[in-house]
Amino acid sequence: MKEIRNFCIIAHIDHGKSTLADRLLERTGSISEREFHDQMLDDMDLEQERGITIKSHAIKMIYERPSGDEVIFNLIDTPGHVDFSYEVSRALKACEGALLVVDAAQGVEAQTISNLYQALEQDLEIIPVLNKIDLPGADVEGVAQQLIDLIGCDFEDILQVSGKTGEGVEHMMEEVVKRVPAPGRDADKPLRALIFDSKFNTYRGSVVYVRVMEGTLEKGQGILFMQTGKKYEADELGYLQMKQVPTESLEAGEVGYVIGGVKSLEDARVGDTITSVDNPAEKPIPGYKEVKPMVFSGLYPTDTDEFDELRTALERLQLNDASLTYQPETSKALGFGFRAGFLGLLHMEIIQERLDREFDIDIITTVPNVEYEVVMKEPGKEREKLVVDNPSEMPEVGLIEEVYEPFIKATILTPAEYIGPIMELCENRRGEFVTQLHMQSNRVEIQYELPLAEVVFDFYDQLKSGSRGFATFDYDFIEYRASDLVRLDILLNEEPVDALSSIVHRDKAYALGRKLCKKLKDLIPQHQFQVPIQAAIGKDVIARETKKALRKDVTAKCYGGDVSRKRKLLEKQKEGKKRMKQVGTVDIPQEAFLAVLSMDDDD
Amino acid sequence: MAGIYIHIPFCKQACSYCDFYFITSLEYREQFVTRLLKEIRSYRGSKFTDEPVETIYLGGGTPSVLSADQLHQILEEVRDTFDVRVKEVTMEMNPDNVSAEYLNALLEIGVDRASMGVQSFDPDLLEFMHRAHDRDEALECLRLLSETGFPTYSVDLIYGNPGQSTDCLKQDLDELLAFDPPHVSAYSLTIETDTRLGKQYELGRLDPLPDEKVARHFEMVVDRLAEQGIQQYEVSNYSKPGQQAVHNAGYWSHKPYIGLGPSAHSFWWKKGKDAPVRWYTKQDIKTYLSGDRRQLIEETEQLTRRQLADERIMMGLRTRKGIAVDELSSRYGYDLNQRQQSYLDQKKQEGIVKRLDPIQLTFEGLKIADALILDLVSMQ
Ligand SMILES: Nc1nc2c(ncn2[C@@H]2O[C@H](COP(=O)(O)OP(=O)(O)OP(=O)(O)O)[C@@H](O)[C@H]2O)c(=O)[nH]1
Ligand code: SF4
Ligand SMILES: [Mg+2]
Repeated sequence: MKEIRNFCIIAHIDHGKSTLADRLLERTGSISEREFHDQMLDDMDLEQERGITIKSHAIKMIYERPSGDEVIFNLIDTPGHVDFSYEVSRALKACEGALLVVDAAQGVEAQTISNLYQALEQDLEIIPVLNKIDLPGADVEGVAQQLIDLIGCDFEDILQVSGKTGEGVEHMMEEVVKRVPAPGRDADKPLRALIFDSKFNTYRGSVVYVRVMEGTLEKGQGILFMQTGKKYEADELGYLQMKQVPTESLEAGEVGYVIGGVKSLEDARVGDTITSVDNPAEKPIPGYKEVKPMVFSGLYPTDTDEFDELRTALERLQLNDASLTYQPETSKALGFGFRAGFLGLLHMEIIQERLDREFDIDIITTVPNVEYEVVMKEPGKEREKLVVDNPSEMPEVGLIEEVYEPFIKATILTPAEYIGPIMELCENRRGEFVTQLHMQSNRVEIQYELPLAEVVFDFYDQLKSGSRGFATFDYDFIEYRASDLVRLDILLNEEPVDALSSIVHRDKAYALGRKLCKKLKDLIPQHQFQVPIQAAIGKDVIARETKKALRKDVTAKCYGGDVSRKRKLLEKQKEGKKRMKQVGTVDIPQEAFLAVLSMDDDD
Repeated sequence: MAGIYIHIPFCKQACSYCDFYFITSLEYREQFVTRLLKEIRSYRGSKFTDEPVETIYLGGGTPSVLSADQLHQILEEVRDTFDVRVKEVTMEMNPDNVSAEYLNALLEIGVDRASMGVQSFDPDLLEFMHRAHDRDEALECLRLLSETGFPTYSVDLIYGNPGQSTDCLKQDLDELLAFDPPHVSAYSLTIETDTRLGKQYELGRLDPLPDEKVARHFEMVVDRLAEQGIQQYEVSNYSKPGQQAVHNAGYWSHKPYIGLGPSAHSFWWKKGKDAPVRWYTKQDIKTYLSGDRRQLIEETEQLTRRQLADERIMMGLRTRKGIAVDELSSRYGYDLNQRQQSYLDQKKQEGIVKRLDPIQLTFEGLKIADALILDLVSMQ
């Protein structure tokens, strides 16, 4: 029986995980030169285009040692972006070891640390790897020291490689064999296989990716999903090579896929344990922490006729991305749509892009917000907590006893010279300072507790621009805290526009209200009547602008040579008008619904 | 009944607001005329010559940079090629080109309507517009028009210039009305991209007149002209009774026309016969002179009924005549729906629509006609 090593590659975003995976695929002959392209495992178009990994990718390879022995590598390449850190946590459970990759020119970053801690929590063997040593800016000594401080390893433990040139990769593969513990191979125990990922195939149902921890999974066997209690038959089993390669059985220690005609993703949840119907295991493997959406936004079809298409598209997306949640909602301004929950802004952006690209549905999104907990004033009664994920559903100020909002702990790593602007940014965002830690090579780790709502907007961009791109950032949810929050409404021509309501801290409401009114004045077209634009908290109008009525717009010339151009313009305007939303008698262009997002902090 | 438009793409200098196609290299004139004669001739025997031609329009550019002799050759070629039963031969001209002699020669070769590019009598405005003529020439050309007894003529005026006061406009109107012109085309200044003014505007060096001021100017033009019996019959066109421009009105009602020269548009639609089509030539003298017909066509549009209906509404609502509901339905297969009808009803109550059939706008409506047209066509 061949030896097996199950391991993953973890790192901060862009530190070269997928490129390193490319080299492993190459060196193990898993892929021919002809088929090869960069970041081979990033098989979604979006991943290739953006050059980032969004989903984890598992792959089986056969490594031939210099001794001639063959070892099976089950590798999982993971994403580096903070929004997808749950993908990392899933991958870790299927492995005994992790390559912790650090870009030798960038050094240890926020996600290096958070991913390392996740791996340590799972008792994984960590192999520290300095990558991109080919770069002229690589600082091997300095970054190695950072790693030594972080992990407490020796300099000799740290591998030095270049995913680009392939330098050090052979050695790294040997080290994987030597250092990563072999998995337990107890094939006779009752079956326990952990589902660490799944894909949906229209024809075959769920394709479930499993790591067999104990026992043996055989083709045709009756299988039981321990959490959901659902029973299926294992119609097909196989290994995850560049293609799916069917096999007769998967034994303890192996990684592969199972297809059992599972039509609903709900039946085969990631994190669940598969056992055998005939000889079930006693207990499931402890599952994952459930991933919870952090950011919510309304998704509305631009063309109101496309509601059903949007629903179908969301269903389809959810099949491969259980972290996406949605439920129908209606807006006076936007009609029928959905309130969707995302892991973060990048996740939201990616879902929007996929809707547009894969399903060709044009959507309007409302400004993203977090989820609030509201305690109502109800004298004499047991206080009930209301969960609000749509600003327009926030009750009247007078009825509210207290509003709680999610807080996160942000860990920011930065070169020391940018501490000033970064702290200023955090203070502006209602942050509370926790600690500051000086590290090797003039780097500082700063921790702040911040309201999540202040981070979902352009916090990351501001952080980057305040530090010339050097600061990196990671966050964890901590708890809900009471804050002085109010609902800021926008009224156009005296009518409230629900989709433009937002929840803000009282101290920031006035400035925001003024800016919003100004911005809307620019975005809303002139009407045949004057349109008052107001921002209000409850009944108090706190800011006001007026869009003047149209006085003269008729084109001067319309002769033989103008007709065509004028008609084409009219056709374009017609399209534009169709895409506008009406509240009362006021036309609102789509951009207006994201007006808040396009405002700077300080103007 | 068809019209013929001939584009003469030469100007002495570039006016700051102008986005017509023209070049200032006058040395190409001769070659151009030769080429144009060939282009006219190329229509011989084609289906486009079956339709009697009632109007000819020499536009540009500045047709008056050509000699009367050259213009004579052009008109002769048109007469030899098409079935000309002409009612109106209009020629655009600029004040700096005309003399009594020239005007008389034009009369002789059959031009019977002048369209004079005066634009303003105000020296500062003329300079701002970068016109080639001065105040004296503006006055002189109008004097010459009456002296030579031109059967009819039109004068172009531009209002709503940045910084232009209502007094300044009033002055322009007074000076113009002293000549008692039979027809006036008064345009509110439009700042087009790719013009000098457009560039200045982009650079933030030009503040357009706010639209409420432009509206004031517009009202003043309409009122002053009306006082002298010169009635508005289209957004920018005013005339004494019976003096409306025949050729231009043809555009607004989808009469067929053939355009000749670079950047000229042609439109051909004959009921029950050919599918409606519009084509236009490139804005490029070199391509034009090369004579390569296929190279020259910039675009050919096959127009759907719906597009034509939109165009007809777009142009019809700009005119005093308006547009008859029946014409829309019989000629364009376009019936107003419920939403459109109630919209029009409501606008009638608001004093923006004057009549429901034919649909006509009040002056209040005319001022914001673009918005109304967009509203209306978007409902179907
Ligand atoms: N010079 C050099 N560039 C490298 C090396 N490894 C990766 N890169 C480049 O670094 C960039 C990021 O590489 P990826 O492999 O996509 O990084 P990743 O860690 O998988 O990124 P995410 O999956 O989005 O977190 C790409 O432009 C690579 O070409 C290396 O060893 N040397
Ligand atoms: S306005 Fe007339 S004269 Fe002036 S550049 Fe344009 S076409 Fe030539
Ligand atoms: Mg990657």
